[in-house]
Amino acid sequence: MTLLKREDWYDLTRATNWTPKYVSEDELFPEEMSGARGIPMEKWETYDEPYKVTYPEYVSTQREKDAGAYSVKAALERSRFLDNADPGWISTMQAHYGAIALAEYAASTAEARMCRFSKAPGNRNMATFGMLDEVRHGQAQLYFPHSYTRRNRQWDWAHKALHTNEWGAIAARHFFDDMMMTRDAIGVSIMLTFAFETGFTNMQFLGLAADAAEVGDHTFASLISSIQTDESRHAQQGGPALKILIENGKKKDAQQMVDVAFWRAWKLFSVLTGPIMDYYTPLEGRKLSFKEFMLEWIVAQFERQILDLGLDRPWYWDEFMRALDETHHGMHLGVWYWRPTVWWNPSAGVTPEERDWLEEKYPGWNDTWGQCWDVIIDNLKNGKPELTGPETLPVVCNMSNIPIVGTPGNGWNVKDYQLEHEGRLYHFGSEPDRWCFQVDPERYKGHLNFIDRFLAGHVQPPDLMGGLKYMGLAPGEMGDDAHNYEWMSKYAKAAS
Amino acid sequence: MTEAPEPLKPLKTWSHLAANRRRPSEYEIVSTNLHYSTDNPDAPWELDPNLHMQKWYRKYRNESTLKHEDWNAFRDPHAQVYRTYNLLQDGQEQHVKSLLDQFSDRGHDQLLDAGWFDVLLKLYTPSRYAFHALQMGSAYVAQMAPSSTITNCATFQTGDCLRWLSHTAYRTRELSMASPATGFGEKERQIWENDPVWQGFRELLEKTLVAWDWGEAFAALNLVAKPAVEEALLEQLGKSARANDDTLLGLITQAQMQDAKRHRDWAAALVKMALTVDGNKAVLKGHIDKYMPLAQKAVEAYASALPGLDNAAEEALAGVRTFHNALDLA
Repeated sequence: MTLLKREDWYDLTRATNWTPKYVSEDELFPEEMSGARGIPMEKWETYDEPYKVTYPEYVSTQREKDAGAYSVKAALERSRFLDNADPGWISTMQAHYGAIALAEYAASTAEARMCRFSKAPGNRNMATFGMLDEVRHGQAQLYFPHSYTRRNRQWDWAHKALHTNEWGAIAARHFFDDMMMTRDAIGVSIMLTFAFETGFTNMQFLGLAADAAEVGDHTFASLISSIQTDESRHAQQGGPALKILIENGKKKDAQQMVDVAFWRAWKLFSVLTGPIMDYYTPLEGRKLSFKEFMLEWIVAQFERQILDLGLDRPWYWDEFMRALDETHHGMHLGVWYWRPTVWWNPSAGVTPEERDWLEEKYPGWNDTWGQCWDVIIDNLKNGKPELTGPETLPVVCNMSNIPIVGTPGNGWNVKDYQLEHEGRLYHFGSEPDRWCFQVDPERYKGHLNFIDRFLAGHVQPPDLMGGLKYMGLAPGEMGDDAHNYEWMSKYAKAAS
Repeated sequence: MTEAPEPLKPLKTWSHLAANRRRPSEYEIVSTNLHYSTDNPDAPWELDPNLHMQKWYRKYRNESTLKHEDWNAFRDPHAQVYRTYNLLQDGQEQHVKSLLDQFSDRGHDQLLDAGWFDVLLKLYTPSRYAFHALQMGSAYVAQMAPSSTITNCATFQTGDCLRWLSHTAYRTRELSMASPATGFGEKERQIWENDPVWQGFRELLEKTLVAWDWGEAFAALNLVAKPAVEEALLEQLGKSARANDDTLLGLITQAQMQDAKRHRDWAAALVKMALTVDGNKAVLKGHIDKYMPLAQKAVEAYASALPGLDNAAEEALAGVRTFHNALDLA
């Protein structure tokens, strides 16, 4: 065997910048698409991706990874896991696939933005693998749920969700379009790969995989943990770009991109991943609480990385740490209450045993969130289920596009953070949400959230049924309690 | 209160495919209708409608002069999905790897004529710039294409162009070891930027890379620039290599042509689909007419410098025209 080692020839694959002659450099790399921020081409040529992979290594590794994930699926198909799975876990998968599959596919376009427009040659090659990776993630996360479409119509939403105006889909698109679809190449490398993928995909793909393994869903666990091996590679595109920005006096710009992306990712996870981990996953399958996963994956690791790179903690860090105890409980309560407006069946997750767990993980839960659930439980117990569903609309944040929540009960701190901009009144769920708007109002000012659309007459008839129609939800798709309220029997027994 | 409608019944596949009588293939299940940004033509992205990127996608994708009311109906004739792409290309790379391994063991580079090293430095190793430009151009088509089935073809094509670039990089290093004085791995940028043999391709590729309208980008890249590069840098260079005892280069370019053929197949399928709409023929012809003179100049400058061949430029251009003739654009 006389083959060269990777390091013998790798650098030549990324010695690909040239000085354009027949078009200008600004034409070849328009600033709005490239985002070089005045840093000259030669500086971008110093970009050094920490994780190096060549084309032959890539196709070989990826072939093996797919063989692994798809063969686990094939082998376990006969185990009929889904027939016996807890309905809360099924909801977890449905929420996950609907919010994630097409968004991951869209990330391939964001990678393509870097591949075409980044002035850093190493970035362009790594983004080529990133483009391919994200096609993988989109395709696998469609192939796997597709085999369940015969079970009920909610599985259709693995493909359908992001094509609709369902409120959660609007929120997911607003986030992903802001982070990755409408940014220049360097913006994508920092906001998508560094701020989002470095921290948050660990939560979704490793945290959730740990829960999946605990509940016995080895197909899902092997798929999403395999996906994370790609994420952890292509997430490393942001670090070297950050380094170049900081070295060239653009730290403020870099810091702002990180701060906006991080906060926005947190808010999306508070409505998607928080309820999944702390309420939908059956109690015996909960490896860690959502907050504990966040502390492990986000606070410990991500915080260290930003400091190592020479950035500061986001200015709202204290508020973020405080919100870890709070936001997702409010989101969960809202999602369960407005359950017809989602494409999965939210699991209430508030049996006496589960409440004990919540109280242990989040001291004070019973005195705050628990008080709201007490009212719901009383209404169900007294045969008044109609009082446990929505009659009005929530106030929705103009940044996160999800409801504005706070702590209820004895910890009451619910607040609408308002801003008047060019004659329009905007509502935000927190100071950082409002700040994201203020630093770049042109990105957001003309967007209408679900409530804005309702008030503007886009939703007809202007009632719940009209709203569901606007969101693309019909009976058979719209959510209801995951366990068909059977969990109430534990309260009925307690009362008798 | 009106009576609640019947709950929707489960389907055997995605609702958007359910109207088809056929059972969908794996390709269709995982490849079709994946771009949500084409749903609302006024605001591709869920943000302020006047944002720069909204305007870019409205202007260069939604309002492209190449029109079809249902681009989502496009199908890759090879029905390639990510999983099968890696199966195919891992196999192809095993083949190239074994070529590199065997020829290296045989001392292939030590047997090359000294003059041939100069030819390779001038006409072969600078190709990494050309291949990389194709990689960048493919990534642009991928991010602008109006359907996921088109995007996927362009995405795999982006990977393939990196593959070709990687072969060149690998060989550049080997050649620099075989002939340290020639300047392999050092002089390519200077040659790419200054040697007259490359300036035609450099101009063609730079101009292709700034064709922003997605239809024009596709036509400039997949119908003109890429086929021209392939005919000159793969076909004719490969032929010249074989004539000059560089068997290895001849075999590598042959392996790369397998990818090029696949790219031409999807491009031809897309043209065929486009031609079902009135007006598209003139649009595509217009793009080809705009870029072909540059391609002709590029091929002539490059291919006439290839040693050991009499009609390399003519043959290369004939190769491009053969591809065009099959597209029914006349």
